[in-house]
Amino acid sequence: MEQHIKEMIQKKTEMGFSPDQMQEVGYVSSVQGYILEVSGLTNVMFYEKVIIDGHSEGYVNNIYRNHVMVAVVREGGRIYTDSEVVATGEIFEASYSEESVGHMIDIFGRDRMNGLQFDCLEQLPIENRTTPIMDRTAVNRPLETGIAGIDLIYPIGKGQRQLIIGDKKTGKSQIALDAIVNQRGKDVLCIYVSIGKTKKSMKEIYADLSRRGALDYTIMLAAFNDDQPPVLYLTPYVGLTIAEKYMMQGKDVLVVLDDLSRHADNYREISLLVGKTPGRDAYPPDIFYTHSRMLEKGCQHKCGGSITVLPIVETRGGDITDYISTNIISITDGQIVLSKKSFDQNQKPAINYGLSVSRLGGAVQPEPVKKMGARVRRELLSYLETREVYQLTNMDEMGKELQEKIRRGEEIMSALCQYKYSPLSHDEIIGRFRHLYQEEQP
Amino acid sequence: MEQKNFVGKIISISDLNVTILLGGVKVRNREILETEHRDQTYRFEVFEAKGSIIFAIPLDSVIGLKRGLDVYTTGKELEMEYSDRLLGRVYDSYGAPIDGLPEETEQKKGVYARSLTMPEINIDGEVLWTGIKVLDFFAPMQKGYKMGLLGGAGVGKTVLIKELINNVYMKSQSNSVFVGVGERSREGKDLYDEMLEAGLLDKMSIVFGQMGENSVARNKAVFSGLTLAEYLRDEKKQDVLLFIDNIYRYVQAVSEINAELKRMPIENGYPATIESDVSMVEERINSTDDGSITSFQAIYIPADDITDEAVQVISSHLDGQIVLDRKVAEKGLYPAIDVFRTQSNMIDIEKIGERHYRLVQEVIRHLARYEELEEIIAVLGVDELSETDYNIFQRSRKLRNYFTQPMFVAENFTGIKGEFVKIEDVLRDVEDILGGVFDEVDEGHFSYIGSIPRE
Repeated sequence: MEQHIKEMIQKKTEMGFSPDQMQEVGYVSSVQGYILEVSGLTNVMFYEKVIIDGHSEGYVNNIYRNHVMVAVVREGGRIYTDSEVVATGEIFEASYSEESVGHMIDIFGRDRMNGLQFDCLEQLPIENRTTPIMDRTAVNRPLETGIAGIDLIYPIGKGQRQLIIGDKKTGKSQIALDAIVNQRGKDVLCIYVSIGKTKKSMKEIYADLSRRGALDYTIMLAAFNDDQPPVLYLTPYVGLTIAEKYMMQGKDVLVVLDDLSRHADNYREISLLVGKTPGRDAYPPDIFYTHSRMLEKGCQHKCGGSITVLPIVETRGGDITDYISTNIISITDGQIVLSKKSFDQNQKPAINYGLSVSRLGGAVQPEPVKKMGARVRRELLSYLETREVYQLTNMDEMGKELQEKIRRGEEIMSALCQYKYSPLSHDEIIGRFRHLYQEEQP
Repeated sequence: MEQKNFVGKIISISDLNVTILLGGVKVRNREILETEHRDQTYRFEVFEAKGSIIFAIPLDSVIGLKRGLDVYTTGKELEMEYSDRLLGRVYDSYGAPIDGLPEETEQKKGVYARSLTMPEINIDGEVLWTGIKVLDFFAPMQKGYKMGLLGGAGVGKTVLIKELINNVYMKSQSNSVFVGVGERSREGKDLYDEMLEAGLLDKMSIVFGQMGENSVARNKAVFSGLTLAEYLRDEKKQDVLLFIDNIYRYVQAVSEINAELKRMPIENGYPATIESDVSMVEERINSTDDGSITSFQAIYIPADDITDEAVQVISSHLDGQIVLDRKVAEKGLYPAIDVFRTQSNMIDIEKIGERHYRLVQEVIRHLARYEELEEIIAVLGVDELSETDYNIFQRSRKLRNYFTQPMFVAENFTGIKGEFVKIEDVLRDVEDILGGVFDEVDEGHFSYIGSIPRE
């Protein structure tokens, strides 16, 4: 085989082709859904793009002694054993157009609403190397979500990775969308990455954002539920590569990843299919690294640009201590936990203030908000704990101090309620809570 | 240009495994091999050999590699700076400085050293107070100890490690080594900036193999860090503080490599070699007559499962452990310590004296009863308690609040200045709370204070 190829190269070179223009051809020897075993490609590179039967596209994700494995990312027709696989000599990359802002796109540079390809496309690597530690600087500028429970109590800074976690239908995506809508006029580019959402819900989100004028500064990068699993796997990485491109131009970017539990399940599916050893809950042992290197792209760069990442994780039965959730909690700079119970009590946004955390805390808040935030948080947490212990005790028989504590706690909780898409500025938030602390002075 | 020797050709490639067919030469285990392609140098470490086929783990990404590429040997293992020049510097897992300063090396040494022999190991050491109430009270330290900080995701391990750096390193004359393994790059940079700002970087040396790096980098960071600490102990004859955040990530990285090599795993995907992999590292962390290594190791508890194999294997090497609990953190009590699982070999009348020992037992008895009472109260309310139980209930809540502490490194969260609390004050305060001296004071006054203010 090798001899044969050498001869062929020799011949082609003599005919005036350079070896780079040569195309190597192999044949599919087995088809396992979207994973193909291909023999005959002796000279391909790891991650090289290949074309199958002229209509489908894939990339090499394993090179064995006698064959290679190809993951199909675009299926334009049927693939059979013996289908022809042509090596392109290029590393598989995403296509992106500068005109994507305001559109729903995929990683191949197409507008998903009409299926058309953008005109001037550029190639972007799926993943860049993580930003070196020394190129990062401290996260200390606020990214305002307009939600009092977040901006005041568990604030998010530009360059922070803040997880949004909760059961189905507790308003996870809503918090991210609120944050995007609130960036209007704040010179932040938003990228909403969908990993396996339904087409219908994506259309709804598109309409929602468009109605509120948020699409002027938002890119929606979508991998639908029925896209090829390798595409679902790659899409969030591409979203962050796009974000890095703008960060390096000094821009602030907000990336929403909706959602990573789907991404984890999708990666588990691919891993088990290619025969990786399963670990805890049958996820492959590198599931942590899969998410850690993705989320580590979020940072405040020394060039002035930043990437803020809001990954979303869905839990079951309110359990945030399952494997994937704790993995991601251990990567992010904090989490906003949403609880079904609060949601049902109409305490919206349904933030569980006891379990939520921001590791950066006041470092990203302006001084007055920081002061107010620290007091409200301390008082709120102590109220929540006390309420639990004394829930059966008759209010009238409590000590005065205790009664007062519970009354103020209730007041704080009601001041934190807020309907969707009704953002508050820092000043308005302070205004809401100021009266609580004026009474203090005799 | 170094002389490079041809060893063989690449025959298969996956993310973490490159198979090489040898061309009649011999290579050592852990030798570093190289290949060049598309203007890039790819490096591998020899991991396993089967006849003339060797499996090597790539130090960086393998994207772009092909079958049939020639592989050369460097004839070396991974190496780390082994001279005074290591102080004040920041290295990556493979020993290359990443702080942007010129690369000045005097002498390098392979990162895989032997562990110490029995006669070399010294187990004596003086007490080391950390100024953190709950640590000094429940899990006191001595020089040369290995203290583990165990906790699930987001319960405050890193904050505690940073407070320890603040309280122990800043107050001592010791040199220190910080090894960042599989943790956040942002925190790494924050630590560097803080040390630089406080003028403490010149006594410190840092190795980063953070979570954005591949499995091999996260695996090797520990070995590189240990080499630095050993230089300070063996050559400079110093007492060294070693901070590892987070040692669990080392085992995790081994699992990832193991899976890629298709070796048979044990439960939860851990490598079958887990015990020896951990021993290889932990047995190097010891003190000699010349110098000591005192280590603080953060240990991540995956899925909040403290019975996790990796956590159990690592904690069997420790002299003491501090366990952080999500339930405590949820109540806003930081440091969020589970007092029932926190322990130290120092809790012994001979080492800390009878008074301290007795108080620890008494506090644990109170808090254990408090846990039971909480359940009773959830059904019956506070009013139904007997007087003894009522006192235990109230005093325990005060104790619980008292063991929170404003930390220097957490000023941004609490808005309160940190405090270093002396052990004598802690013992006196605890004694008085138990004795009922503060029965009339509202429990709220005990939260986030240093020692109890007295007239």
